[in-house]
Formats: sequence, C-alpha cells, structure tokens
Amino acid sequence: MKRCVPLLAAVFAAAWMAPARADEWKAKPVVVPFELLKTRHMAVQVRINGKGPYRLIFDTGAPVSLISNKVAKQTGLLKGAPPQSFLEKLLGGGGRPAKVEKLEVGTAKAADVPVIVMDHPTVALLASKLGPIEGIVGCSFFARHRMTIDYQAKQLTFTPNGYQPPDVMKGMMEAVQGLLNKKEPPAQVFVPAAQWGLRVAKAEGDDEAGVAIKEVMPGGAAAAAGLKAGDRLLTLDDRWTDSVLDCYVAVSAIKPGTAVKVTVQRGGKEMAFTVRPKSGL
Amino acid sequence: MRSLWFLGAAALCCFAPPLRADDRKPEARTHHVPYRLTKAQHIMVRAKINGKGPYNFIIDTGAPALFVSTEVCRKLGVKPDAKGWGTFDRFDIEGGVSLPKVRGRVEDPFQLKGMNALGLAGADLHGIIGYTVLAKFRMEIDFTRDKMAWTPLNFQPPAPVELGGKGPDLDALGGLFEMAGKLLGKPPMPEVIVRGFLGLDVAEDDKGVVVKGVLGGSPAAAAGLKAGDRITEYRGRTVRQAEDLLKLAAAEKTRPGDEVKLTIERGAREKEIIIKAGEGF
Repeated sequence: MKRCVPLLAAVFAAAWMAPARADEWKAKPVVVPFELLKTRHMAVQVRINGKGPYRLIFDTGAPVSLISNKVAKQTGLLKGAPPQSFLEKLLGGGGRPAKVEKLEVGTAKAADVPVIVMDHPTVALLASKLGPIEGIVGCSFFARHRMTIDYQAKQLTFTPNGYQPPDVMKGMMEAVQGLLNKKEPPAQVFVPAAQWGLRVAKAEGDDEAGVAIKEVMPGGAAAAAGLKAGDRLLTLDDRWTDSVLDCYVAVSAIKPGTAVKVTVQRGGKEMAFTVRPKSGL
Repeated sequence: MRSLWFLGAAALCCFAPPLRADDRKPEARTHHVPYRLTKAQHIMVRAKINGKGPYNFIIDTGAPALFVSTEVCRKLGVKPDAKGWGTFDRFDIEGGVSLPKVRGRVEDPFQLKGMNALGLAGADLHGIIGYTVLAKFRMEIDFTRDKMAWTPLNFQPPAPVELGGKGPDLDALGGLFEMAGKLLGKPPMPEVIVRGFLGLDVAEDDKGVVVKGVLGGSPAAAAGLKAGDRITEYRGRTVRQAEDLLKLAAAEKTRPGDEVKLTIERGAREKEIIIKAGEGF
C-alpha cells in the first residue's frame, strides 16, 4: 500500500507540472545499497535539494513520489506555493504537488522530479515501528533510469536512460474527465511493424492456449521459416499469443529483419522456429 | 493498514543467512518479461495461474506478497485458508517465468478495486505481484525497452514480518471509488482496429520505394501489383520511404475490407491500383 498512490491525490489533484527537462546526468550506472525492512520494503537514503539524507521507501508500485510535510518544510519544497483552497485539500487527499530540483537516491540523481507532499498514513505506521521514514520514491524517479533490483545483494543500480515519464496526474485527470464527459476514447490501431505473411484465427469458445494459423502465405517470411497452416501459434517473441489481438500486439513491436523466436504446436509437439519478418504490409 | 499486509510472522524462521551475490546459479536463464505501462504508470504483466488466464498483475515492490483477486480465485477453485492464503500450483508469468506451488493472498486490495472501478489502468487488474515473488529474481526494468529482464537468483528471500498493531483503514477508499465508478459508469473501451493486410513487401533505393515481392494469393496479387512497381502514393499521400507506407496505413486506419488506392510507376507509366485490404500480418 505504500505501494500506492494516494489514490485520491492521484486522481483528483490538479494537473500542475511542466514536463521534466531532459536528464542532464551522464549515463553511468551507479550502485545504491538498500535496507530491507522487516516488512520487506526497500528503504533508501535520499537527499532532497542537497539536504538529508532521509530514509524513504523505494516502490515500483508508486507512480508518484511522496515526501513528508516535515521534510518538505526542511527542504523548502513548498516555498512560494499558494495556499490550498478547501476544495483542493479535500480532493487532493491532503497531498500537494511540488518539484524537487535535485533528488539524490544514494549516488543516483535526477533533476526536477515531481513529488507530492503528504503524510501517507501507511508510511507513518511503518515509521512508528521501524524508525523515521519520510516518504516514497516512485516512478517519477526510477522511470528515468535503467534500473536493476537485486534483493540478494540488497542493491539497486541506476543508469540514466533518457526516458521522460509522462505526467501521471494529467493522465489520471484526463481519464476522469473522459468519464465525466462520456467521451469516446480514440480508436486503438494495432499496426504490424513488419510483414510476416500469416493469417491467424481463434474460434469462439476456444479456451486453449495459442491461436490457429489459418494461412501461411507463399513467399512470405513465415513460410520461409517453415511455419504451416494448421500449426497452433503459442508464442511470438516470448509473448503469449492466446488471441488474434495478442499476435498484433506482439508484431507491432518487431522491426523488419529482426530474428524472432516463434513456438508452435504441431501434431502434439512443441516446435520452435526463427522468423525474420520483411519490410512490408 | 491492516496487519495482513505485514504478513508472515509464522515464517520468521526463514531468516536464512543471506547468500552472497556470487552464489548465483551460473546457468540461470534470463527471462524477458513483456510488460505494459498502465495509464497510472504501473508496470503490468500477464500471468497464467494453473494454465488459466492470462490475468493482469501489477509489479509492486511495495506489496509484501502475491495478491490474487477473490474473483479469479473463485474461478480457479482456489480456496483461501483460515488466514486468507491460497496455494497456486503453477504461476506462469509471460516471458517464460514459471513458478510451482506459489503461496499468495486471496484478496482484493483497495487500490485494485479503485482502479478497476474507474477503469484507470485501461485494463482489468486481477492482482499484484509483490516481494515474495519478485525477490527471487534480479530484475532489470527500463521503460525505453518493451521487456524486463528477470534472472533467477539462487536465494530464498526472508519472509515479511508482521508488525502488529492496527493501521489506518484505507479499505474505505476502495469502496469510495467503487461508488464513484457506479455513478460515472465504466469507461467505454476504445474501438480496436487491426491494420488491414495487403501482401506486398518493399525495398528502398535512391529513387524511392519499390515493390520487392507480392505474396501469392494476397490482396496485392489479386489487384495486379507486381514486383518492380514503384509506389509513389498511398491513398493520394506521398510515399518516399518504406516507413511512410506503414505510417500512412496506420494514420489512415486502414482496416481489413477497406479499399486502398496506390499510385505506382510501372516502367515509364503511372498507374493507380486499388487493393482491397484483407486480414493478416
């Protein structure tokens, strides 16, 4: 649950922040040790705008990062923020958006990280049993890195990856707005990124794994690899293909010329093939 | 938070001395686990339980254990014990992770109730994969890639310890969202379109896009397209490189059954060819 977004805050807080700037830190992996709490949450040492370190929970299930009011005060996070209206307080679940200019998790760093200032009740409970915990480091920090988590070595590693996480709050606001307006969401188009020369189908009521290959087009990439009509396509590029749509999701990520592992069931036996799809449609 | 979240007092004895990082099985195979980011920036993976599914799970280091929704457990016929735990004979995560005899909570965490009620994830969520499962792997997560890398560790993770005491009752939040969901109605799902299939593959040269091959029995073959034809326009829009073709077909939402007008050059002559898109990829 600290896993969590203060859902109320996440859903209802006003969209506020400008998109974060491109990551300016050099792409070098850094190792950050973590403390494995009794509850088996990871705790990391965090500096906020040069102050600290403070102990925070590291949480892949938290779309936003949370900072306690106490630390926000010590680090001047809410300086200049206008006072909240009654309604904002109510809808925001007590959370207030802010931005940390320099967030350091161990020696890993990120600039202009959006956070929410709030005293999360679950964090408070943990702190009451386990000593001071001042918030949660979530997606707004780690998404900007290639990250490894190793519970055995009690280590995280971070390498800046150039990824700019979208504004979660804005996304949530749009989702709720869409509900309020009863707006039709735009159609989702699944676009194969390369040509395989396959037609697949799944009969109604067919609950078995995979889809049926109906047609392997002569001259196509699938035919060249040895696939046959009548094969049951089980996985494509390590992805399950249990529906026709699953197949489209899988092939939308595969560029022409890539060697891709495909597994099928043929005559009761599982077989693997390598297909190199072509540039085409 | 209810004490349930700090499970596992009974398992305290599992405090095996931590193994060292270099004790890893040398042959440990790395699994490439496909994931999707939900609208709320949660990492969502698909899992099958006892061969059934797939079901959608959030990857959450903030959760102490595996959680599977009561509805899924009812369908699977997995009954919780007196303390709310169920045993899943086989737990497969897309990408090749397969775990036998996995214990998990049979429970509906309020976060999932909330997100499902308002459709905030853009997909139905069926559970959460937390520490007890995640700690068995060294996980690499990078949002610029479409798969995570999970390498099994030769490591028995120490069980979470119950802290005791009564935490804040956040369950009410789930109810609140369910109520809001009922008022607002479930969000409409976007229309799903799979791009239509033409059956031509192309190459690029310094003059533009040239048809390399036409698949036997394909819509392009039926319309009379031939290898060597140069494609200059897709539905009246200029094609300069192979990528343009794919982009235009996506932008125009070309579906199976749609008629696609291609402008081509065959020798010195310009020609229009109308292809009725079919199914396939």
